[in-house]
Amino acid sequence: MPIEIEIPILSADKREWKRPAEDIEKDHTHELLFELEAQGELVVQRVPEPYSEVDTKYGRKKKIPLQHTWHHKSCGQCGHIPGYSTSIFWLHRQLGLEYNDPKDQTSCTAWNYYASATSNAAAQAAVAVRNFAAAYESGYFPLIHCGTSFGHYKETRHELLHHADLRKQVREIMAKLGKQLVLPEEIVHYSEWVHVIRDRAAQKRVYDCSKITATVHPACHYHKLVAEDAIYDREIYGGQRSAIVTSTLQALGVNVADYSTWFDCCGFGFRHILVQRDFTRSFATMRKIEVMKNEANPDVTITHDTGCVTTLDKSQFAAKAHDRNVGVPVMSEAQFVALAMGAHPYRVVQLHWHTTEYGALLEKMGIDWKTRWEEFQGDLEAIKSGKKEFLTWEDADAK
Amino acid sequence: MEQTRYTVRNKYSDVPYEVKEQLFREVKSDLRFTDYLYGCYECGICVAACPSARFYDFSPRRIAQAVAREDVELIYEQMNDDVWECSQCFSCNRCPRQNSPGGIITVLREVAVKHGLRSAKEALGAYGRVIYKIMSTGTQVSPDMLQPDAFPDWGPQVLDVSKNLDTWRKAIPPETLHTTETAWEIDDKTIIELYLIWHMTGVMNMIEKVDEGLYTILMDVMEEKLEEAGYSM
Amino acid sequence: MPSDSILIVGGGPAGLEAARGIAEIGYKAILVEKRDRLGGTPDEASYAALTPHFKNTDDVLGAMIGAITSNPLVEIRTGSTVKECSGAAGDFAVTLSKDGKEEVVSTGAIILATGFDHFDPGRETQMYGYYEHDDVITLVDAEKMLKQHRFVRPSNGAVPKRICFIQCVGSRDRQIGNEYCSKVCCGIASKQAIEIRQIVPDANVFIFYIDMRMYGYWENQLYWPAQEQYKVNYVKGIVTEVLKKGDKLVVRGEDTTMGRPMEIPMDLVILSVGMEPSTGTKALAKLLGVRQNKYGFIEAIGEPMDTVSTSVEGVFVAGAAAGPKDLEDSTSMAGAAAMKAIATVRRKSAITAKV
Repeated sequence: MPIEIEIPILSADKREWKRPAEDIEKDHTHELLFELEAQGELVVQRVPEPYSEVDTKYGRKKKIPLQHTWHHKSCGQCGHIPGYSTSIFWLHRQLGLEYNDPKDQTSCTAWNYYASATSNAAAQAAVAVRNFAAAYESGYFPLIHCGTSFGHYKETRHELLHHADLRKQVREIMAKLGKQLVLPEEIVHYSEWVHVIRDRAAQKRVYDCSKITATVHPACHYHKLVAEDAIYDREIYGGQRSAIVTSTLQALGVNVADYSTWFDCCGFGFRHILVQRDFTRSFATMRKIEVMKNEANPDVTITHDTGCVTTLDKSQFAAKAHDRNVGVPVMSEAQFVALAMGAHPYRVVQLHWHTTEYGALLEKMGIDWKTRWEEFQGDLEAIKSGKKEFLTWEDADAK
Repeated sequence: MEQTRYTVRNKYSDVPYEVKEQLFREVKSDLRFTDYLYGCYECGICVAACPSARFYDFSPRRIAQAVAREDVELIYEQMNDDVWECSQCFSCNRCPRQNSPGGIITVLREVAVKHGLRSAKEALGAYGRVIYKIMSTGTQVSPDMLQPDAFPDWGPQVLDVSKNLDTWRKAIPPETLHTTETAWEIDDKTIIELYLIWHMTGVMNMIEKVDEGLYTILMDVMEEKLEEAGYSM
Repeated sequence: MPSDSILIVGGGPAGLEAARGIAEIGYKAILVEKRDRLGGTPDEASYAALTPHFKNTDDVLGAMIGAITSNPLVEIRTGSTVKECSGAAGDFAVTLSKDGKEEVVSTGAIILATGFDHFDPGRETQMYGYYEHDDVITLVDAEKMLKQHRFVRPSNGAVPKRICFIQCVGSRDRQIGNEYCSKVCCGIASKQAIEIRQIVPDANVFIFYIDMRMYGYWENQLYWPAQEQYKVNYVKGIVTEVLKKGDKLVVRGEDTTMGRPMEIPMDLVILSVGMEPSTGTKALAKLLGVRQNKYGFIEAIGEPMDTVSTSVEGVFVAGAAAGPKDLEDSTSMAGAAAMKAIATVRRKSAITAKV
């Protein structure tokens, strides 16, 4: 007699979501942007060709420039995770894509906005537009390294587009600086650029990543702040979460593992990370790292914003001292891609600035970090002895 | 003016109602306000996603409710006791009414700073050097700010960085990153432009209200640079 | 030539009731339905029992369909769609298409009963993972299982012991653009909660809501029995994320009554999806030039006292083509639309006769 089996009812028709064409949101932001440009209220800097077009949350196509970009650097990356910015530049150089690393750039100063509130809408808009105008004058298109700057500039763009008084005020300030009210056609985060070059990067991969399990922390200010502008892809999470970072890791062959608190913030909190760190530490370790550890036991966790790397990396030391289940190396996807493509772990990726243990990860990828560390020690000696003033790109690329 | 009171307890009864009302008027007249608050039907979505709500007795829903009800007394209390706990992550932006409780908090904080509320001074007490750094150099969290005594919980690696700072900075390939006092190298002309923005947008007045000492130091630094560049204060 | 017949588009409850009423009064009804069978959404989506009376869907629809198939004044055209329309009130020429063949019919008035679509959870801005997790289903998926009297977790076929409903999915949401309440989901969720407890007596059933919309008798027909007799847990607070944790799902939200964040393991999550205008409603509105509201539903121009007249004379609307409606609304509108449609054809043919 045949054994009766219970066949699940729904999993047979595996659900696959397709956004209906009519649902693609009317793009009011860009409509307004070009309308105001036509009225002579502002200048719009166009995305330089060649660019890639990718889907955003509600289906709008966003243009991502491939090169000729003005690198709007991040305070925390440059200050404490210099391998982050260096890896972004290194990727451009490896792929033969041209860029501009300007000195005529300030921070977005959102630290003054989100942390201490010692600013206001007009000041923030003027700072943003000053940077945009500087990029425009250089002829290069802004590529924004920091997730907070990216999110904040989109908020600022919204305020400028919707408030004539604010535009007038900012235009007057810019006039005093000899500048125009410039807004870029798209506000682009570097991780969106990594997303569009991921296949080229994967072609240049020299280390096998197929044994690596990674978890992804999507940055709040990337996908929650002005959410409609974030990149989504139907092939990644069925188009239900932002595709960013995960798409890149998958292109490299990394096994991306899920964990139940993926949507949670890292606990950075701006003022908290500096003056109320009990909150930051607890949240980062108990809500993020420990959960990843318990549910996915990853070799590394990858994110795409400054504060998240710092918070998740630095908070683990104290938790470890309390015997909590932590100990996951943390880095940005730019650094991870660079490593996979054979970048020097210290000269380029600058892993000595990170707190968590990354040795096991590098070994699993097949990177002989001990030899590389010795090489880097040689560089430091040369600098200390005055034989060498700085480590150069030529040094970084030396085999 | 008729006073609508929803609370029996009034924690800041020493502050005149008119003062609290004036602060709320400023909040409401901010250009961002209409985008940040529509109405609230207490679904709790903002709280569910809020990291601070898990750690403190803090609720973005209570903030949105108090502001929607225009409960001037309660708003004043929150402006003092609650707003600095927010992480400004904007997880609450997924509100189905399209409110931004985090954005309301940004505005509440700014008004608190502008009026030099004691709580704002306290919240920013340990924060002076951070504000100083970004306003005077145009970059934040510069390499030299990571001092081991301020970050004992980050372990001995912080000591490594601080001990080797000069050499390690020189061992970074991009030319703009060899700095220690700023996150990257910035042109003087750029800094001057930033100072002019601070002056023209009233940010210096905010600093004066919340931290006089910091204001004096900042003014000194700026004045010198501005004068060199041919601007008179 | 003016026509005395009335064309009805849509063979769901509103269309069926309109056809029945018109024929009973003695006028000719042409009922156009794009599917090969009548019954509309309750039939297509396999509703089990109807809200709020727990009457068997097939019995109720069967009686309605029986009433029109036995009446020679109703001409039933299934498998047909409307391609074109010209003319004016009293004398419309409507092109119908069936199996690629087109035919023009004359009609004096038109009733649009083209209904709604269930909201697609893929558009939801909260993280419910309908397309990620098998054990996240909708009210519609749940109805299918209830109809088979077999209520299981789709992932593994096991009987779920912890089940929750999440209300207002795709409704009352400015982010999505659907600011309206879909009106029926509170009642349907409560009805299903009772049915689930009947099939799985030891299950814990939760309903997470913003406001329970249980107006009129739905209160004592559904809400009170669900709470008092079937011990359904009503929690004020909406879930923001459905997360997978091992074999279970975890729902996360705020319990707003208690003022604390909650994270509760579940075996099965049911999304109470709301209503959106159906593709048929949107297409017909365009074809006939009938004004739609900002959500795409057909606008009833004479509200509150006239719920069925549209911006085009001689074209009426009945049921959920005009917005979120329950069955009582839909069939009541059908009666009103039938009456006004008949009045239109009588008035128009009287004028022609005079001329």
